Amino acid sequence: MKIDIRHVAKLARLRIEEDRIEKFEEEMLSIIDMVENLPPISGAGKDLDPSNPMELRKDIPTPSLKREEVLKNAPVSQSGCLVVPKTVD
Amino acid sequence: MELYEKSAYELSGMLREKKCSAKEIAQSVFDRIDAVEDKTQAYITLTREIAMEQAGAVDEKLAKGEQLHPLAGIPMAVKDNICTKDVLTTCASKMLYNFVPPYDATVMEKLNACGTVMLGKTNLDEFAMGSSCERSYFKKTHNPRNLDYVPGGSSGGSAAAVAAGEAVIALGSDTGGSIRQPASYCGLVGLKPTYGSVSRYGLVAFGSSLDQIGPFARTVKDAAMLYQVLCGRDPRDATSSKRERPDFVAALDGNVKGLRIGIPVEYFGPGVDDVVKKAVFAAVDQLKAAGATVKEVSLPSTDYALSAYYIISSAEASSNLARFDGVKYGYRAPKFDGLIDMYERTRSEGFGDEVKRRIMLGTFVLSSGYYDAYYKRAKLLQHQIADEFAHCFEDCDLLITPTAPGTAFKLGENVDDPLKMYAADICTIGVNIAGLPGLSIPCAYTENNLPIGMQLIGPKFSEDLLLKVGDCFETIYGGFNTVAKI
Repeated sequence: MKIDIRHVAKLARLRIEEDRIEKFEEEMLSIIDMVENLPPISGAGKDLDPSNPMELRKDIPTPSLKREEVLKNAPVSQSGCLVVPKTVD
Repeated sequence: MELYEKSAYELSGMLREKKCSAKEIAQSVFDRIDAVEDKTQAYITLTREIAMEQAGAVDEKLAKGEQLHPLAGIPMAVKDNICTKDVLTTCASKMLYNFVPPYDATVMEKLNACGTVMLGKTNLDEFAMGSSCERSYFKKTHNPRNLDYVPGGSSGGSAAAVAAGEAVIALGSDTGGSIRQPASYCGLVGLKPTYGSVSRYGLVAFGSSLDQIGPFARTVKDAAMLYQVLCGRDPRDATSSKRERPDFVAALDGNVKGLRIGIPVEYFGPGVDDVVKKAVFAAVDQLKAAGATVKEVSLPSTDYALSAYYIISSAEASSNLARFDGVKYGYRAPKFDGLIDMYERTRSEGFGDEVKRRIMLGTFVLSSGYYDAYYKRAKLLQHQIADEFAHCFEDCDLLITPTAPGTAFKLGENVDDPLKMYAADICTIGVNIAGLPGLSIPCAYTENNLPIGMQLIGPKFSEDLLLKVGDCFETIYGGFNTVAKI
């Protein structure tokens, strides 16, 4: 089996330096070898845990964080907005 | 005995009897931190001012004769992947080197309301991915019981802090063993609660279907006191349970008569060191002498649990860590050419190798053409593993296993071999996969002064039973509360 490290990295928005691709592939393959040994399993999955059904809160607006508090952590912000590079030509 | 060496339970009593003040307790722990932190490297951030302010507030309440929560004035360390309002929360990653959360995690809101004293934020493997605390961007933590060895991980900083007397209690998080394995390596009590019993709101997500926050302590009673505060329904975490919880401290009645202990044979296989097996069996014999019965049971899918774990946790991690893009918070690459380049550079420079490896693995197993072969199969296996545990609990009250296959390893020993590092988790991951509670307690020490941990596993929401049996063993053992000599 081969893993196209460049393709997976692209999907994950990561960049692996060329000289490290081989090492990454080796390590990934050893992990894949480990998970390859899963036995064949059939049967429908039980998606929900019957002993603990999830419950979402009611869809009612509640107080949230203030804009300036949220923007404090932004790498770049301007006029109350997050700044990103130009995305549309 | 110095104040920093005492248990939370003892300190709580002393505060009420006015034998010491909360400020004196906090000062004693900070003096200890000043004395040993350069050797243990347990903390990423110390919050002295906050701690002394919180301790002062407890002393004022005490002076006014106000009612105090049992944990009021107790100095506590917090793993640095739990959000603390206005206090740096890094996940031990370059990606969040400057992140100051504008809100508290639910567990922090609860603890602040109790009047606990926050000492600081502790080291971890980056984004809680690791088993040795060597994968932190900032520093490597040392095991206080023997400084040449790792404290375990990922909550190694919290474990080292409590073992070294640099905190009385601490919070950790456990996705595959990250509370129990360091508790085992550092000679502590560590509880991974039932999935859904503690709110995950404000815990930086790794594997959302596996993550739980839980307590570290030097005694079972202290762990019970802390867990009592942590558990409960939180509307901000849809997976948190509404279940009523008992008084966990009152449940510690020391009685194990008639307790049915199961010994899963697969957890005592050739991968587990003889010294560990011997210590755990000796401990089981002591519980037997105290009135418990013991039988062998089988969990046939145990061998596959590690594979299922790495597929599920990495898949969830690859999705959860997609949020780190250099836009909203944290690190942003200084130079880039366009949006995609900014994402790629930010993530490549901000994440360490282990995090990248898991994001890549998760991306791969979720990618088109591989989903059925890996992720779907792992999810089906998860149900099978949970069913096997449930079957054991039909005629056992709890299971006892080693917490880790060996004692702590030396710093640097496994750091270049991911598979060897992952093997440190083989005894703990089944519990996360099945959503069960697991309690690690010390049961022996080796000649190198390395602790051996034993794991108690129960059905969902059986923390009261696990703590009760742990407390009973602590009495038989002669008490767990020892601070490491450094």
